[in-house]
Amino acid sequence: MALPCLDSQENIIDWQALSLSLKLAAVTLALLLPPGMLLARWLAYTEFKGKYLIEALVVLPLVLPPTVLGYYLLVSFGAASPLGQWLSEQGIQLAFHFSGLVVASVLFNIPFLVQPIQRAFEAVPANLNEAAAVCGLGSWATFWRIELPLVWPGVLSAMVLTFVHTLGEFGVVLMMGGSIPGETKTLAISIYDRVQAFDIQSADRMALLLLLMSLLAVAASFFATSRLTRRR
Amino acid sequence: MTTGTNENNSLGLHVSVSQHLPMPLQGSFSCEPGQMLALVGPSGAGKTSMLRLMAGLLKPSQAKVQIAGEIWCDTDQGICLSARQRLVGLVFQNYALMPHMNAIDNVSLAMLHLPVKARVHAAIDWLNRMGLTPEQQQRLPAMLSGGQQQRVALARALARQPKLLLMDEPFSAVDQMSRRGLYTLIADLRRDLHIPIVLVTHDLNEARQLADKLVVMDAGQVLQQGTPAHIHRSPRNARVADLVGIPNRFHGRWSGAQGPYPAPQGYAWLQWLFSPQDTQGVHLLVHDKGRLKKQNQAVTWVIQGDGLSVHDHAPDVISNPPSIALTARLTSLRSLGEISLATLVLDKPAGCQMQLTLSGSWRQHLQPEQTVAVHMDCSWIHVMPVRDEGQSSS
Repeated sequence: MALPCLDSQENIIDWQALSLSLKLAAVTLALLLPPGMLLARWLAYTEFKGKYLIEALVVLPLVLPPTVLGYYLLVSFGAASPLGQWLSEQGIQLAFHFSGLVVASVLFNIPFLVQPIQRAFEAVPANLNEAAAVCGLGSWATFWRIELPLVWPGVLSAMVLTFVHTLGEFGVVLMMGGSIPGETKTLAISIYDRVQAFDIQSADRMALLLLLMSLLAVAASFFATSRLTRRR
Repeated sequence: MTTGTNENNSLGLHVSVSQHLPMPLQGSFSCEPGQMLALVGPSGAGKTSMLRLMAGLLKPSQAKVQIAGEIWCDTDQGICLSARQRLVGLVFQNYALMPHMNAIDNVSLAMLHLPVKARVHAAIDWLNRMGLTPEQQQRLPAMLSGGQQQRVALARALARQPKLLLMDEPFSAVDQMSRRGLYTLIADLRRDLHIPIVLVTHDLNEARQLADKLVVMDAGQVLQQGTPAHIHRSPRNARVADLVGIPNRFHGRWSGAQGPYPAPQGYAWLQWLFSPQDTQGVHLLVHDKGRLKKQNQAVTWVIQGDGLSVHDHAPDVISNPPSIALTARLTSLRSLGEISLATLVLDKPAGCQMQLTLSGSWRQHLQPEQTVAVHMDCSWIHVMPVRDEGQSSS
């Protein structure tokens, strides 16, 4: 950040930040997908008292300002908090580290992953599971052969949404990670830094890159979903 | 531990259930191999719950389900097999075919214990038997008609070689033309399969046409079971008569032996009243089955169409004593094709309405508002006590 203009001729695009963003998105998705699917399926199939509270918690990151979430994460994982102290005794540093970004990003993406998958599971007619049971299928066979193929379009769009959303995340990342090149400086942060440094050309290119990547991913997922659902 | 294991050792299906919560479900019935039993009753009567209980999709608080000597559920012994442990074929009301699988894959799903090749081969066999063309067998359910989907669902239910076949309103979403084809198909299957078949339906005509045995249900209770002819002729109570749609149901008072003259041995007097409050009425001599003990108790009674005939003129001689001739006015006559539905209003008991079906060419000459003679053979009369709540007579 000290002398951004010096290397801007060669490095109009901050490739390090881009690869960090891609890595963050991939790790977030990989960590969030299995428990997210379980949570989504559980919420779709189970009725219980106080379910609305769990559902509200799931949606909360969607309505909360990212800085608020980032602030609480920083406070709870920082060195001053008991949790942060305990973690650092275990040798785990979260604040201003990539691992901290992953934790923040996983929490922040819960609604983006869980909600579309939950809707997809809810759309599976209940009697298909019963029909599978009467056909002699166990829970695993039912999941692989019946549920997964039917919810797959929903899972696919949830995955794309989560990935793209992580690529572009700014507030939480800034609060939790700061802007350490190679560790916590993602593409969105890098764009912000360049704008602050009046390096409009570079900000321009990186913003366009992010825009195109997001558009491409979302369009591809819509295309795939429409092809999958047209067959029914 | 030995209680009840040997009391029903026949090869058929035996079900008995007695639960109050979460929904009331009471009664017992049985069905022999090769027999088709129809559960009938209005919506909400518990027919589908009874079916789900047999399939293992509903866990009863107290019930016993036994088939071919095997216990599927006995809450007293703490046994209740899950649906996938029972060899049961179930055809769902809206078929519940897997939307992402073609017909062959849907049927194969019931045979996952076989190797893939054998599975597909058997599935094609079943679908051929159901009359689906090879091209239709490759289609997804959404690309098949209701009747074709029904055939796929039936093939899937049978592919597992079940010990019991259950069908939930199997023809409700199928048009009249396909329905006839399916009736024939099921009649053929019944001959070959030799397993108990239970059908849920609210269509009484369908039940009478297909089933050997009816189980009439209402509000979760089994009210009566028997052959369609038996239930139609002798419904156990007024509610059953209502549910199976017996049109000619009348009020009356049971007079026992006392009437215009003492009733002969084996007969009793029934006073036919327009309403329960009436005091005057027509005296009918009916068979006394010894079930009604109280004299002057209020009763309802039915007469099946076979006991009634309509004539242009009163017959000259009335042959056997338990028959009477009545005069009536024809109020409406609707032609249903081969038969006509006639509504009559009787002169005595004044205002009583009667409905019957007429056939033959002479019905074409009848005119509304015409006076006709009705010949009633009282041996077709079935008398029921007015139902006391919570008490069922046998």
